[in-house]
Amino acid sequence: MGMGGSGIIFDEVCHTYRPRRGRPVLALDKISLDVRDREFLALLGPSGCGKSTLLYLLGGFMPIESGSITTHGKPVTGPGPDRGIVFQSFALFPWKTVRQNVLYGLEKQGMPRAEREQRTKELLELVHLSAFADSYPSQLSGGMKQRVAIARTLAVDPGILLMDEPFGALDAQTRALMHEELLAIMQRSPKTVVFVTHDVREAVYLADRVAVMSARPGRIKEIVSTEKPAGAGSEFLQTPEFAEKVEHLWGLVRDEAIRAQDAAH
Amino acid sequence: MARMNPIGRNLLGWVSVVVFLAAWEILARSHVFTEFLLPSFSASFERLVEDTLSGELLRNLGLTLLRAFAGFAMGAVAGVVIGVCMARMPLVRWFFDPIVSIGLPMPKIAFIPVFILWFGVFDESKILMVAFNALFPVVVATMAGAEAVDRVMIWSARSLGASPRRLLFEIAIPAALPEIFTGLQIAMPIALIVAIVSEMAMGGEGLGGALMTQMRFADSRGVFSGILAIGIAGSLVVKAMELIRRRLLVWHQETQSG
Repeated sequence: MGMGGSGIIFDEVCHTYRPRRGRPVLALDKISLDVRDREFLALLGPSGCGKSTLLYLLGGFMPIESGSITTHGKPVTGPGPDRGIVFQSFALFPWKTVRQNVLYGLEKQGMPRAEREQRTKELLELVHLSAFADSYPSQLSGGMKQRVAIARTLAVDPGILLMDEPFGALDAQTRALMHEELLAIMQRSPKTVVFVTHDVREAVYLADRVAVMSARPGRIKEIVSTEKPAGAGSEFLQTPEFAEKVEHLWGLVRDEAIRAQDAAH
Repeated sequence: MARMNPIGRNLLGWVSVVVFLAAWEILARSHVFTEFLLPSFSASFERLVEDTLSGELLRNLGLTLLRAFAGFAMGAVAGVVIGVCMARMPLVRWFFDPIVSIGLPMPKIAFIPVFILWFGVFDESKILMVAFNALFPVVVATMAGAEAVDRVMIWSARSLGASPRRLLFEIAIPAALPEIFTGLQIAMPIALIVAIVSEMAMGGEGLGGALMTQMRFADSRGVFSGILAIGIAGSLVVKAMELIRRRLLVWHQETQSG
C-alpha cells in the first residue's frame, strides 16, 4: 500500500444514465479530483447529483465510460479488496451470522483458518459486537448492522474505504455515536476514506476536506478544507469554527439543493 | 380468544374440522343416504385402522409418497437450475419465458394420455408426470427470488474478493432461498395431487389406484377411508415442509417475528 503514494486520482470522469425508457441523462460531467493518501474526503451534494455514482465508479462496480480513475497509479477496472465499501442499506449477507459475515472476505483472501478466526474476533471487539457473534443480521438494530458491515469491510484491510451515506438510515443518536466510533477506528488504523453524504454537519465533523458537488449534471463546485485540530473529539461540534464551516458549506449546498428540487418538478 | 393460552388457541383452530366430522357422522347415521352413498365417518375411520393394521394402507401410501417425492425432487432440482439461469442469463430468459408463462397456468394434467403413450403406465410415467407439474412453480419462484437479489449485496461480495463465477452459489442462491422455498411449498401439494391422479388414471398400486379399484368393487367405506388417509398424509407433509422452512430459514425475518 502507498507505493505510488499518490492516493486516488479522478481525471475528467463522465457518466451518463441510460434509462430503459426516455433519453440519456448526463449524471457526471468531467469530474477531476485528487484524494490524498490517508485523507478523509467527503463528497457532499444534493440527492441525484451523482455522488454515489462517482463512488460506485471508484469501487469498480460500473464501467467507466469516459475519463479515468487511478488508485496508487493503477487504473480502476473492476471491484477489488483494495477498495472496501459500506452501503447505507448495510448489504449484509442475511443467511450468515455476524461472525460468518466478517469471515467471508477473509475466506476469499485465502487466509488460514486459525488466523481468520482470530482476526474476526479482534474486529468484532473493535466494533463492540463480540456478544452478538452468532446472531443473524435480522436480529440486530440498524446501528449494529452497520457496525457489522464496517467490520466485514475492514477485515480484508483495504487501503481505501468507500462509504455510501453509511449512517443515512440511522436515527440521530445512533448516528452521532457511529461518528465517534468511526473516527476512533480510523485513528487506530488510518485509511483513505471517500465518504458520500448529504449531511453538511456530518461532512464537516468527519472529513479533512469536503468536495461540494453541483446538482445534475454533477460537477465539483468547490473543495473546502475542514481539517480539525489534532485529537479533536465531539467537543469540536460546539466550537465557533465548526459552526462557521457548516454555515459556509451549507451556503454552497443550499443553492444546489434548490436547483435539484426545481429540476425534479 | 386473544387471551387464551397457546395450546387452547391451537385446539380452537381445529374446531371447524371437528364440526365437519360430526356433521358427516350425524348425516350418515340419519339414513337420509344409503351406506353405499355415504358411509359414516366412524365406519370409514374403522376401515382406515383395519387397513393400516393389515399393512395394505401403508404399502399403498408408501408407493404414492415415493412417486410424489421422487417427482418432486426431480422437478425441484430442474426448477431451481432453470429459474436461476433465467434470472441470471438474458438469453436463457428470452428463450424460456414464453414457455413458462404458458406452462405455469396450464392444467398440465391434460398430458396424462401423452405420458401414458410415451412412458407407459408404470412408475417412470407417474414420476415424470409429477416432476413435470412440480417444475413450474419452482421455476417461477426461483427466478423471482434470484432476480430480486440486491445489487449492493453482489457488489459487497465482489469487493470482498468473490469471483463472478462464485457469486451464483455463494450469494444469489442463498439470498433467494426464502422465495425458492416458497416455490417448493407450492410444488409439494401439487406433487401429491398429481401422483394420486396419475395413479387413478394409470392404475396399479398406490392410494389413487386403490381408490379406483375400491370404487369399481362398490366398496364405499374403502373409498372414504382412502380419502381420509390422503387428507391426513397430505396435511402432515405440508406441516413437515413448514417445519423444514423454519429450520432452514432461521435467519429470515419472518421466522424471527413469528
